[in-house]
Amino acid sequence: MSIQGETPFVITVPHEQLSLLSQKLALTTLPDEIDDARWDYGAPLADITRLVNRWKNGFDWRKQEAALNAELPQFTRDIAIEGYGTLNIHYVHKKSQIKGAIPLLFVHGCNFHVVAISLPGYGFSTAPSKKGFEIPQYAEVAHKLMLALGYGEYVTQGGDWGYRITRKIAELYGPKHSKAWHTNFPISGPPTISRPLLWLNHALSALPFLSYSKREIAGFERTVWFQRWGRGYFAEQTTRPQTVGYSLTDSPVGLLAWIYEKLVEWTDSYRWDDDEVLTWVSIYWFSRAGPTASTRIYYEAFKAADGKDMFSLVVHTKIPVGYSYFPKELVISPRSWTQVPNLVFQAEHEEGGHFAAYEKPEILVGDLRKMFGKGGGAFGVVKDKNGYDA
Amino acid sequence: MSASTESHFSISIPDSQLELLQRKLSLVVFPDELEDAGTAYGAPLSDIKRLVSYWQNGYDWPTHEAALNAELPQFTRDIPVDGFGSLNIHYVHKRSAVEHAIPLLFVHGWPGCFFEVRKILPLLVDAPQECPSFHVVALSLPGFGFSTAPTKKGFALNQYAEVAHKLMLALGYDQYAPPSHKRPLLLISHLLSYLPFLGYTEREKAGLARSLDFLMTGSGYFAIQSTRPQTLSYGITDSPVGLLAWIYEKLAASVEDGKPFTDDEILTWISIYYFSRAGPAASFRIYYEVTKLEGLGALATQESTTIPLGHSYFPNEAISLPRSWYKVPNLIFESEQPSGGHFAAIEEPEALVADLRAMFGKAGPAFGVIEGKSGFT
Repeated sequence: MSIQGETPFVITVPHEQLSLLSQKLALTTLPDEIDDARWDYGAPLADITRLVNRWKNGFDWRKQEAALNAELPQFTRDIAIEGYGTLNIHYVHKKSQIKGAIPLLFVHGCNFHVVAISLPGYGFSTAPSKKGFEIPQYAEVAHKLMLALGYGEYVTQGGDWGYRITRKIAELYGPKHSKAWHTNFPISGPPTISRPLLWLNHALSALPFLSYSKREIAGFERTVWFQRWGRGYFAEQTTRPQTVGYSLTDSPVGLLAWIYEKLVEWTDSYRWDDDEVLTWVSIYWFSRAGPTASTRIYYEAFKAADGKDMFSLVVHTKIPVGYSYFPKELVISPRSWTQVPNLVFQAEHEEGGHFAAYEKPEILVGDLRKMFGKGGGAFGVVKDKNGYDA
Repeated sequence: MSASTESHFSISIPDSQLELLQRKLSLVVFPDELEDAGTAYGAPLSDIKRLVSYWQNGYDWPTHEAALNAELPQFTRDIPVDGFGSLNIHYVHKRSAVEHAIPLLFVHGWPGCFFEVRKILPLLVDAPQECPSFHVVALSLPGFGFSTAPTKKGFALNQYAEVAHKLMLALGYDQYAPPSHKRPLLLISHLLSYLPFLGYTEREKAGLARSLDFLMTGSGYFAIQSTRPQTLSYGITDSPVGLLAWIYEKLAASVEDGKPFTDDEILTWISIYYFSRAGPAASFRIYYEVTKLEGLGALATQESTTIPLGHSYFPNEAISLPRSWYKVPNLIFESEQPSGGHFAAIEEPEALVADLRAMFGKAGPAFGVIEGKSGFT
């Protein structure tokens, strides 16, 4: 049974692309490295050298491609976006056996019908060709996809840009369509005077009885580390994505290093297998719009924010929201800073980082089950689809 | 001072390297570009495609290599640096026929190069009789051009200064004038706070606006080079077009209001980075080491020096602040130039030399600063 306008999709990278990659890898020129650099200067030479060697010899893309196609039922369909024409959107769509399953949009399952979208410019979706495509447009695409799949009401899960986008979906399309949202990237900047009690507490937190907990202090330290050392990619991508795009597009090792640094630094000691890394990077390398397209969301969102800090604003949405806190996330605020009126679920975890769905899938799904399951704060938000049969 | 000997040096890139470059270029993959992107998103695709096409077909490195070797007498010598062993330093050195010429050290920056001295060199060395002459030394900083790079952590400003100083001493110049090619970058921490704009000239206001724009939209390279230079290094080392775009963005920004660089100039500039002894990415580490030691505001602090200081202000410089912010007791020379940007020695050689002549000439405020070397016979 196929839904109208939908085309089944199977990843099939053309042979010429594999051949070109192989030719480029054969000509790889590697930089040197400072003695005993470890991770201080960026992705270590020994790691990248080993990964390049594996990529040249041993990594089997066709095998990984087949595995992805076997695990993830994929489709493409055209979605029209106001002002931007039509984009061809790639997504995973897996329906649960349970008819009353909850439609869940996973941006960047059991009791859920799951839709996982490739955002425009990522994976096997096309990219916009005009300037200015930013958060509201990404929200529009995702929302229209859910409607096209027959999910007039749905819930969402997102981290990183997925957090911003699902929050925008909540703002624009809730409560009529977007019924509840969950994020593993609950962030806030320091409280301003508009939240006087929090602000005062923060100002006086040097006093012992108002001090932050050890966990909260560790969170601050991680945040400070990220702001000081980990945002070079952000500075470049928000300002000159095209310039860095040339190396990411032309050099497989350049793309590999750019992403690998984040796969390691942003996760909680996740034991990456070389083939896992190479599969992840290959998807960027073979992506339909090329890797440069994936950087433009930074530019467009930053420009639209017009000098305001994109990530520090705490936005109250009208619909229920749930948060999962992972200790190796990049920006970790005290829970007191992220409270909002309709926060119906929170869970703090002892392990896991930025890529929570990938690193700790059971934990993340466990949280979703608690939030949406019987007795959970968002149980029954979607009419006639409470996640159970009868 | 140093017992090390000097060797003559000629740039001589082996054919194998030229061939590898061409093989890489033949496999180039370009990104797409948004409609009407202009320069806002970075180096424009049409510029980069044109340059790559010319690089593959038409641009003749051997001609430019020969020209550089003909114009610039080059040498290498070992210079020891405390805690870092010995580096082999590449430099241009040309003495004036005027015996008592002023020894001048020319220091490039990033993405600069020793060859930025090429246009001012003949003017400095062979001045008309009424102007001072100079003996000129232009080094490749460690990690740039044809100098080797340090292999240990922590090689920061003191070490770069040590190398340059020891080089001058080794050449017999125990007193010399080191005007830096780059004006000091003075990003004062309260730049972004509210400041009275009354009393600033139009030029100063334009400069402030330009500086803010640079900080907000033009300093991504600074952020990545000062935090994760190694991560950046893989793409820039492996991809000639990646390197081209990374540097071209800065060259183009400097001349956006003036005369553009020619494609030959651009490709020669990029080629020196591409063929550099330590690889192009070694040049990033100065950002990491200096900001790690001194904080991200490292370049903002105005260190007090006691020796006479002169400034030339070029309107298209990336950072250009109200003149009152630069005032220090030893600032004895200032000049407002009508045109030119960041790479002043290449863009406006006559203007820069005129300023040096005015500062060091007979009527100048720094005349006779070095005993016995006034610049005149």
